[in-house]
Amino acid sequence: MSMQKAVDNSRSSNAGLSMDNQEKLLADALQNVRQHAFAMKRVLDQQSVMEGLKHAANMLGELRTSLLSPKNYYELHVVVVEELHHLELYLTDEFEHGRGSHDLYEVVQYAGNIVPRLYLLITIGHVYIRANELPRREVLRDLVEMCRGVQHPLRGLFLRNYLLQCVKSLLPDTEEENQEATKTGTILDSLDFILLNFSEMNKLWVRMQYQGHTRDLQRREQERRELRILVGTNLVRLSELECVNVERYKTIVLPKIMEQVVSCRDSIAQEYLMECIIQVFPDEYHLNTLNEFLKACRELSASVNIRNILISLIDRLTAYSTRDGSQQNIPENIQLFDIFSEQIAEVVKSRINMPPEDIVALQSALLNLSLKCYRDQFEYGNKVLENTRKIFDNIALDTQVQTGTPAAKELVKMLKIPIDCYDILDVLKLNHYKLVLQLLSYRERHTVCMYIINSILDKETIIPTAEQVTQLFELLLTLIIDQTDSPLETSRQTITNEDFVEEQNLVARLYNNFQAPNDPDQQYHIIKICQDTFKNGGLERMRFTYPPIIMQAYALTFRYKNIREQDEKWEKKCQKLFQLCNQLINTLTKLETNDLPLRLYLQGALAASEIGSENAETIAYEFFSQAYTLYEEQAGDTRAQSASLTLLIGTLEKVTCFAEENHSTLRQSLTQAATRLVKRPDQVRTLLLCTHLFWSAQRLNESTQKSEQVHDNEKVLACLKKATKLTTQIMDQSVQVQLYNELLNTYIYFFNQNLPDIDITLLNSLIEKLQNEMSKISSNENDEFIRNQIQKTFDYLRQQSQLEKFQGLQINN
Amino acid sequence: MATIDADNRREIARLPSRPISLEDRYDPPANFLEIEVLNPETHGFGNKRYTDYEIRMRTNLPVFRLKECSVRRRYSDFEWLRKELERDSKIVVPSLPSKAWQRQVPAFLRRDDGIFEDEFIEERRKGLEQFINKVAGHPLAQNERSLHVFLQDTTIDHDKYVPGKVRNS
Repeated sequence: MSMQKAVDNSRSSNAGLSMDNQEKLLADALQNVRQHAFAMKRVLDQQSVMEGLKHAANMLGELRTSLLSPKNYYELHVVVVEELHHLELYLTDEFEHGRGSHDLYEVVQYAGNIVPRLYLLITIGHVYIRANELPRREVLRDLVEMCRGVQHPLRGLFLRNYLLQCVKSLLPDTEEENQEATKTGTILDSLDFILLNFSEMNKLWVRMQYQGHTRDLQRREQERRELRILVGTNLVRLSELECVNVERYKTIVLPKIMEQVVSCRDSIAQEYLMECIIQVFPDEYHLNTLNEFLKACRELSASVNIRNILISLIDRLTAYSTRDGSQQNIPENIQLFDIFSEQIAEVVKSRINMPPEDIVALQSALLNLSLKCYRDQFEYGNKVLENTRKIFDNIALDTQVQTGTPAAKELVKMLKIPIDCYDILDVLKLNHYKLVLQLLSYRERHTVCMYIINSILDKETIIPTAEQVTQLFELLLTLIIDQTDSPLETSRQTITNEDFVEEQNLVARLYNNFQAPNDPDQQYHIIKICQDTFKNGGLERMRFTYPPIIMQAYALTFRYKNIREQDEKWEKKCQKLFQLCNQLINTLTKLETNDLPLRLYLQGALAASEIGSENAETIAYEFFSQAYTLYEEQAGDTRAQSASLTLLIGTLEKVTCFAEENHSTLRQSLTQAATRLVKRPDQVRTLLLCTHLFWSAQRLNESTQKSEQVHDNEKVLACLKKATKLTTQIMDQSVQVQLYNELLNTYIYFFNQNLPDIDITLLNSLIEKLQNEMSKISSNENDEFIRNQIQKTFDYLRQQSQLEKFQGLQINN
Repeated sequence: MATIDADNRREIARLPSRPISLEDRYDPPANFLEIEVLNPETHGFGNKRYTDYEIRMRTNLPVFRLKECSVRRRYSDFEWLRKELERDSKIVVPSLPSKAWQRQVPAFLRRDDGIFEDEFIEERRKGLEQFINKVAGHPLAQNERSLHVFLQDTTIDHDKYVPGKVRNS
């Protein structure tokens, strides 16, 4: 039965293979084609049809070659078909003018070689059908069967493709036969035609696999892939027929296609054609033939990548079901989830060598389906997650999926799906989510956790209950406490490690989304839970995670104050909150930066003062003194100290709940501290700040229970005098002048405040002093700044000199 | 496929054909035959040296018992095969690459290594490959037992060998 052409095959394919050879062959062929085409056109112009056909046959002879690669054959084919079109136009024209010859269909069959013969036959057939010379149905049948004469894969494929293109507009697309004598055929004839053409083309296409030497296999497979569209066009043509409905698709079209796809056992063909079917036919059809399609999938050859086919189908149907925002496109009786879930399980069972990442990808697609199509039914999504976990437990219990593997990547992708589809509150309802998360190694868990947090922050989701916070923390544990499987755990936890900083900042930011809007007690629970969770994270993490808790706690005290009418225990609750903060800040002092705890204490003191609860003063005093202790510990760092002292002074000025005893203790300590600073300029400036402590700072009057300003004239003046004296001791001229300016400004302020003993004379003397000193400073850049400052002071004074208060002011330019 | 009605036109009349089964459609064609001559190796020392080649064969032709095999043969084995075929089969057997008498002149008289020269071995290998492919592809040669023994028996046992025909299994 078989022809022993083995030797000829290898010889002929080797001969034409080299690149230059191919180019030359193609160029020669094209030139011949053009020559024959030119001759053909010339004789057609002279109305000699027979001569024209002869030249056409010669031209078509170039398509008989075995020497060209598929790509080059295609190029040749394109040119030939273009030229052939002229012939077709000529003949059509002849018929339109009533001059057509009636025997051409027979005449061309005398052409000597089959390839030209069939191309001409197809062309003439096309013309004759259009001109109603021959019955459509018979001719179409004839053509598709005659093409069997070319069994060479490459030539056959292109020939049948030409046939398909030619009859594009001629395929009958009606339900019923027309009533005229010449039968045109119905949709069933078209189906027969295309399905036959398809099966023959598929046969030829698969046969290409075996042509030639085994060492050229890769190249051949690549060439086959390049030609796949030729076969696929048949399916496209089927989908374009209007009379094909769901019923016909299910009973005629799909079974016939599947028969060919399954029995050809060729993986290139199967992968392409299954994919093609999914893309080309409408989703409605797929919905109604799911079982048949999936059954065929199971029968595909073992090396076919079934994962992509199934995922393509699932994704398409998922998109279909959620189109236009509704979930109603799927009819009730089609339980998509169940069908796919079962089928995937069958597929996985039947393919024992399926790599885990493919299984996960399938589960991911299924998860996507369940989340999008069954949005409010969490049990579907849960089931998928549970199954995924089971699969890995079956492979290797208690082992993590190794980091960086394709399986790990697919799992990460899978875990991102619910985060994208839902907001976190719904994700928390998928209680098997964490089972799958636990499968991953450190790096992937880390990625997923970061993704979760970023999603919450982007979507601005509020998490209102303590229970949900707990559940969320369970998921995010990887970022919160030390992990046993993390590399270099301790060494990476430094503030110089950008990743660590970024990660902990995100966790901290998360805190802002924990809000129980109408329930302060719930908020308190949330705070407690955060504290319990974060305290296990290690000191370096606390640096980031404690401050938000503390700030929220302060904010909560304000909330309690607001509802003090409804809640009689509000003061006790505030007390507890402050105690908590005390504890937390205390822990933070173990870190090297004293700045943060110090600020937090001061903030607490302010908060307590604002709240004004029954032991606000005690609390505020405690916090303040803690801050002061921290200040004292900064002894070595002059710059830090002066900054901290400034903070302390500023805070004290605002705190209003201290009674005189406490307040005066603090005033004095701070003032003394100011004078004990090492650098003179710092001393001066801080003293100037202290003046306000004796003036506008408020203390609690115990008899009236109201706060009042200190207004201690003497002490204010004492400070000012001390500051002035210290200024005279400064050696650096520019700094001294600058400080004189600052002194002057403070005096002006108190002058405006009507402090007795500060009168216009005093101001004048200061102005004079300053003006004298001004000449001492140089005119370089730094001092330019100082000059400007002084100018501003003078400008202000000049403005004010109009006022009655400032009568007698001596200021000149 | 519907039958054509009786008053069909001459130009579209044709013979009815038998549909082919799905297996026949898609099975790999049973004409696959590849023989490679590879890996020349020179054995022995001094005067007693000889070179042999690996003959690797892959096929799906029904007439061959083994679908894949690999044996080692030397030039004289090829000569033996040729002689057998010339005598028993009706084909015109192609010629082998030359015997290279010149090169077999004693070593001390030649400047190079004679028949163990790499270039020469490569030339000979190509020639032998061409020869065996032409021969094995011929249906009449495929009927000769000598060809099967040559291609598929591990060694050619000249004592046991009896010339004869092989029928399609």
